[in-house]
Amino acid sequence: MIFLSNVYNALEQLVTHRMRSLLTILAIVIAVTATITVVSVVQGFTRYVSNFLEGLGTNAVFVAPQRPAGDAGKSLGRVELNEEDFHAIESQCSALRRVSPWIPCQDVKLRYGRDQITCSVEGVAPSYHTVRNFPVDAGRPFAVMDVERAQQVCVLGREILRKLELDEDVVGGNLLIDGRRFRIIGVLASKGNFFGHSLDDVVLIPYTTALKMYPVFRRHLIVAAQAVSAEAVPEAKAQITNLLRRRHNLAAHQPDDFIVQTQGEILAAFNNVGAVAVSVLAGIVGISLLVGGIGIMNVMLVSVTERTREIGLRKAVGARRRDILLQFLTEAMTLSLLGGGLGIALGYALSTLASLHPHMVDVVVPTWAVLLGFGISAGTGVVFGIVPAVKAALLNPIDALRHE
Amino acid sequence: MKAGTPLLQLQGITKEYQMGTEIVRALRGVDLAIHENEMVAIMGSSGSGKSTLLNILGLLDVPTAGQYWLDGQNVARLSQSALARVRGRRIGFVFQTFELLPRQTAVRNVELPLIYSGTAHRRQLAIEALERVGLADRMKHRPNQMSGGQRQRVAIARALVQRPAILLADEPTGNLDSRTSEEILDLFENLYREGQTIVIVTHEPDIAQRCRRIVCLRDGQVESDEDCGAARPDPGVLMRGGQAP
Repeated sequence: MIFLSNVYNALEQLVTHRMRSLLTILAIVIAVTATITVVSVVQGFTRYVSNFLEGLGTNAVFVAPQRPAGDAGKSLGRVELNEEDFHAIESQCSALRRVSPWIPCQDVKLRYGRDQITCSVEGVAPSYHTVRNFPVDAGRPFAVMDVERAQQVCVLGREILRKLELDEDVVGGNLLIDGRRFRIIGVLASKGNFFGHSLDDVVLIPYTTALKMYPVFRRHLIVAAQAVSAEAVPEAKAQITNLLRRRHNLAAHQPDDFIVQTQGEILAAFNNVGAVAVSVLAGIVGISLLVGGIGIMNVMLVSVTERTREIGLRKAVGARRRDILLQFLTEAMTLSLLGGGLGIALGYALSTLASLHPHMVDVVVPTWAVLLGFGISAGTGVVFGIVPAVKAALLNPIDALRHE
Repeated sequence: MKAGTPLLQLQGITKEYQMGTEIVRALRGVDLAIHENEMVAIMGSSGSGKSTLLNILGLLDVPTAGQYWLDGQNVARLSQSALARVRGRRIGFVFQTFELLPRQTAVRNVELPLIYSGTAHRRQLAIEALERVGLADRMKHRPNQMSGGQRQRVAIARALVQRPAILLADEPTGNLDSRTSEEILDLFENLYREGQTIVIVTHEPDIAQRCRRIVCLRDGQVESDEDCGAARPDPGVLMRGGQAP
């Protein structure tokens, strides 16, 4: 009963001092809005990125040559990953199911009839379709023969078709890649966008053909592989590392001259970005809550002083210290929870607005973020409301009743 | 003095305050017994200790030394929360400045003590109390929509709503004009005749004259304590115009 009465009183005070209350809770509104919005967006991104990484291929492992940083790197001779390395990985790593080179050539001129565009051309092996989960849905995928004979054949991504205003009938036709004639043998199934960048804006050719055209990549292959299972990923990584260190004659004290990255590691890197965003958020929220909390404390102290006689009267008619304490704590919490509620609504609105942007991911406000918003606003109310409430509770009834 | 166990009894009550380096002795050994259904005026000049005595009677303050029995219970050394409980249930306060909550209606103001005692049927009890003071038609009015006399009636209803053992009034007519003061005194008179024990602190002899007993304080001690029941005016004369229909 006292609780209901306290809530009624709190709402009455709030309505009486509308402007004052609104200004007081502003910082809390900001804090909770920031929480909801950032948490939702980060969550959206994380889900998006992990979906994308799923699309990289199941249990994917990537190997690339890389000079180690610092003096250790300078002391190494040539840093390379060549075709022999690739074949060694392909034949000797039992934890891998499929392996394909991946030669990404940027800004390659593509000519079809009179139309010319620039796109990225990637040299791959037939296993690439499976490793990267990138099947064809018209024509045929690469065959072993295409690679062995370094055929001038290509598979087009959907975005290339769109740019050249072509349809699947183009299979069997010809186009020019850097002036060389290629036969179009297939069209890739669409992979969609990643942060506004189309994943279908690509032309695949046999890696042997790519190495002929761009010999610089002979020493600089990237290898895309698929482990036999999710559990085998660490084992695959260890096998590749051991193999390449042996092949590159690295002494025990020398660092790797290559990197082996797994899908999980890439996901972890993206998650790190999310973690940074969350810690920035924590800073903003912390400061806002401090400001908001002090605002609430200030307003509550003013309220206690203004209502000293009321407190005296309440004590005279039987209110215990606890009753007065709860009354003012309820009032502080009503303010902070109102701030929290407004913040949640605003955060919801901003998140929804964010997902309307064309290059933005789908943002979903998680339930736990809403609860967190309520939690931190309620917590602020309690923490900063306690001092004024205790002050009110400890007032001597006689002095309070005599207060002018 | 009446016979039997007094409703409240003070014995050797002293109260000392620290004022800077000086110790002020506001009450210096007050003995006082008030029986059920008495109407007592406490008089004295300012500084005589009458406000301090009222605070101690109302359990708003605790004495430095001495004993205080209310209803046979020794209340001089109760805890804060026990004091609040007794205050809420056994004592009704009426103040010079009414002390109504300005934004709440008459009936909600009267309900206030019932909220703290956790009593059921609060609205019903509050309405009955307002009816007793003749304000049945002002239930939903806020203090600023009422006259001074009406406000004091609301305050009296609030003091009565718990059916307290004793009604303590501190200069209850101090902020009212003489006609309204008469009405409020008539109301007290009626309550007294219904069996309510009433203590009024006042410095106005006119008001004290309406009581059955006058206790005069001087320098923190009881100077005189006289039963003047015979001297009271005919209640019938006082009833005129003072009561609600």
